Amino acid sequence: MAATPSTDEELAIAFGAHERWAFGDAYRRYASLLYSAAYNVLGNGEEAQDCVSDAIARLWRSPRAYSPERGSLRSFLVVCVRNEAISRQRRQSRRMRLEGRLAAMPVEHDELQVADPIERDRVRRALLTLPDEQRTALALAYYGGKTQTEIAAELQQPLGTIKSRMKLGLRKLAAALET
Amino acid sequence: MSFDHVADLAAPYALGALSDDERAAFEAHVRRCASCAALAGAAERDVALVASMEARHPAPPELAGRVARALAAHVARPANLWQRPAWLTGALAAALLVGLLPSMYFWRENRALHRAMVAQSEAMERVAAGPHLTAAFRSAPGSPPASVTYAPDGSWYLIVVHDASKALGVAWMHEGRHTMLGRTVPRGSVAMLYLPKSHRMDRLALMDGARIVAQADLWWQKTPPNHPSARSG
Repeated sequence: MAATPSTDEELAIAFGAHERWAFGDAYRRYASLLYSAAYNVLGNGEEAQDCVSDAIARLWRSPRAYSPERGSLRSFLVVCVRNEAISRQRRQSRRMRLEGRLAAMPVEHDELQVADPIERDRVRRALLTLPDEQRTALALAYYGGKTQTEIAAELQQPLGTIKSRMKLGLRKLAAALET
Repeated sequence: MSFDHVADLAAPYALGALSDDERAAFEAHVRRCASCAALAGAAERDVALVASMEARHPAPPELAGRVARALAAHVARPANLWQRPAWLTGALAAALLVGLLPSMYFWRENRALHRAMVAQSEAMERVAAGPHLTAAFRSAPGSPPASVTYAPDGSWYLIVVHDASKALGVAWMHEGRHTMLGRTVPRGSVAMLYLPKSHRMDRLALMDGARIVAQADLWWQKTPPNHPSARSG
């Protein structure tokens, strides 16, 4: 058993090398964030727990899924857990709750109930800086759990256009949140 | 899957907007392409930033036990050992030579080391069989001598540190920063790290913790680096 690494970078290297202890340490280090990422999609604590443990187990069964040159292990894990949660949601045909959250623009809805009012306002302001078409594409994907193909059909736009809107919108959103 | 295709799919992937099949194909490509992995990582960072600002819920204490049981329930596969018959025979022969097979208990006790050694056997086989370039590291006083042998197309790198008393980190130096690539695996008085890559790196560094102890400048021919899409898509 190796010693607990002291830095995120050391943990990322060990995780990339597929060390079992690194998987456990990564969970402990990011437990709250990962559980929250699943819970905020699924809205159910039991399902969120299954989702997190399944996502980590899936990575454990997939050598080379992560390498340090990919970037932040924390971000990688958050996206893995979210994707697992969204897949579960789709498989279980529980789209009604998500679609109910899309009755109007996301700035008006529950999904923006973030950690505290300051953070919530930051996300609101950041979303409002996006062009409408980019904000809609982002909302349908991130908050609505829809695939790019479904979004293209719903908005009656070419798939390439939707990809481009998500790419540009995500970068602008993150840039606005970073300032 | 081309680099441009991955660039288009990175945001939908990170946002969760790919179907299961699309996501599996995306992940399979990114797993073997460093350039595309960086694209995916950038989109993941953006999505994680948004996710970190959503409502935070404390993880239930019992979840740690679930995760531990999930990890214990699955035996990690040694990476690609049975998926690459082209080099399997040579790798196993090399493994015999370095005394790996007599220590088969490593399969159960330390799979990471096993994988690293098999990868290094593969690397040594490639070095002997194909064209390669070599560059020496410029080491700080008191640091061990080291070299990097690499493929002319940047498809693999083998870092060898002599008189190695401990593992050293290997980093790619670029644009004023460094990206950690891995850690040399000591065996006897030599430590090695084999890196399958898909692009050319101009400068590598050996790291002892956060301290750079050696650097190597890599020489390349003038033909541009190839992305996997140019070879097989």
